[in-house]
Amino acid sequence: MIDTHPSLYIAPTLGDALSALGERGAEGAAFAGGTWIMRAPIRHQPLGRAYVALGKIEELQRVDVTPAHVEIGACATHATIAAALAPCSDLAVLAEAAGRSANPAVRSAATIGGNLMAADFAAADLVPALLCLEASVEIVARDGVERMTISDFLLKRQYLACDRLLSRIRIERADRRSAHTRLPLRKAGDYPVAIVSLSARIEAGRLMEPRIAVGSVEPVARRWTPLEAALEGAPIDIAAARHAAEAYAAYFQGREGIEAPGWYRISVLPALIGRALQSLSS
Amino acid sequence: MTLRLTINGRESLAPDDPMTPLVDLLRERFHLTGAKPVCREGFCGACLVMIDGEPTLSCLTPGGLAEGRDIRTIEGLSPAGRLNPVQNALEAHDAVQCGMCFPGMVMTLTHALRRNAAPSREELRHALTGNTCRCTGYERILDAALSAAGALQGGEP
Ligand code: FES
Ligand code: FES
Repeated sequence: MIDTHPSLYIAPTLGDALSALGERGAEGAAFAGGTWIMRAPIRHQPLGRAYVALGKIEELQRVDVTPAHVEIGACATHATIAAALAPCSDLAVLAEAAGRSANPAVRSAATIGGNLMAADFAAADLVPALLCLEASVEIVARDGVERMTISDFLLKRQYLACDRLLSRIRIERADRRSAHTRLPLRKAGDYPVAIVSLSARIEAGRLMEPRIAVGSVEPVARRWTPLEAALEGAPIDIAAARHAAEAYAAYFQGREGIEAPGWYRISVLPALIGRALQSLSS
Repeated sequence: MTLRLTINGRESLAPDDPMTPLVDLLRERFHLTGAKPVCREGFCGACLVMIDGEPTLSCLTPGGLAEGRDIRTIEGLSPAGRLNPVQNALEAHDAVQCGMCFPGMVMTLTHALRRNAAPSREELRHALTGNTCRCTGYERILDAALSAAGALQGGEP
């Protein structure tokens, strides 16, 4: 008789995980925190056939912080990332994204790798934060390592070969400030209707090289490049930034959802830009 | 496949597949019905149990990943019918209404008060972000928890 129950192999090392994923082929899938996969039944999706759990692999849990860069293992949880990055003011956007998403029990389980690999999860907080930090990711396979920008990864992640694994996220540090703002329907513990992540250098009260990413409004987070161009070199003026955001809001096509219609997600963006700027300048 | 779980200090065997949510094993296999599968999404906290001392969503935890770990359910927090200080305080403050959310509330508050003997009301509010109650309005729960502060230092239960 064929066993139709899903299997779960707990990999002790990264090498074992890669071998196991290679052996399982198209039926295999990595299992990190489980907060997305375990909800498959309520999305009316079947569970996979053969999971490879990554939670025991020490090197995937680590967050290494140096003055020049930060490297985050794909299985670091939101709670771990929020604690590790709390002292890094340049990375406030990521610390806030990790420390405010969902609720404490989810933050203790959900991982950065899971957040990035859940391609259907539009409301992932870490994705816009990583976009505005211009993070890069490392993909490992038994025959080598590949690195790519976070933007490239978001385009390619659904087509990642089954024996390849997102292993690490790297962020180069710089003399920048950053902020993360989100609008959940309840004050806390909910998916955000819209997210704005912002990072910029501030010189003589002006925004330099602003990077703005918007999450949860469309199916996949992306940079708001026309607004970035409009705010380049502009003085920090919250009312003016909100007006600019209104002028460029048509850049997005809001996704319809049970919790909010598309137009509403777009209509809150100028207010979120204002809040992000406020927190950047305070 | 047989799962070997340590629940409330006792080793228990479950002939189930490893992706079965822990909450279903607890309730259906071991008849420990304190943890409730309400949303199965990680939103409500009604399914919380302690795993290795940390509040953990049993709806999102596959049984196979709970093997070899110390699982404590609400039933294990009051051995021989002795309520723990949080449970006592909730009863004394008449905080419980339908009771559906309380096994999870007790897990979160017990953990929060073990880590911080003198939390503020705001800190407890933050700790309860993932525990939804549809009956009480939370204020009496917070009153009860604040009154139990300090009573959970120094270990079990
Ligand atoms: S049932 Fe697990 S959080 Fe609601
Ligand atoms: S007492 Fe009824 S849900 Fe909390």
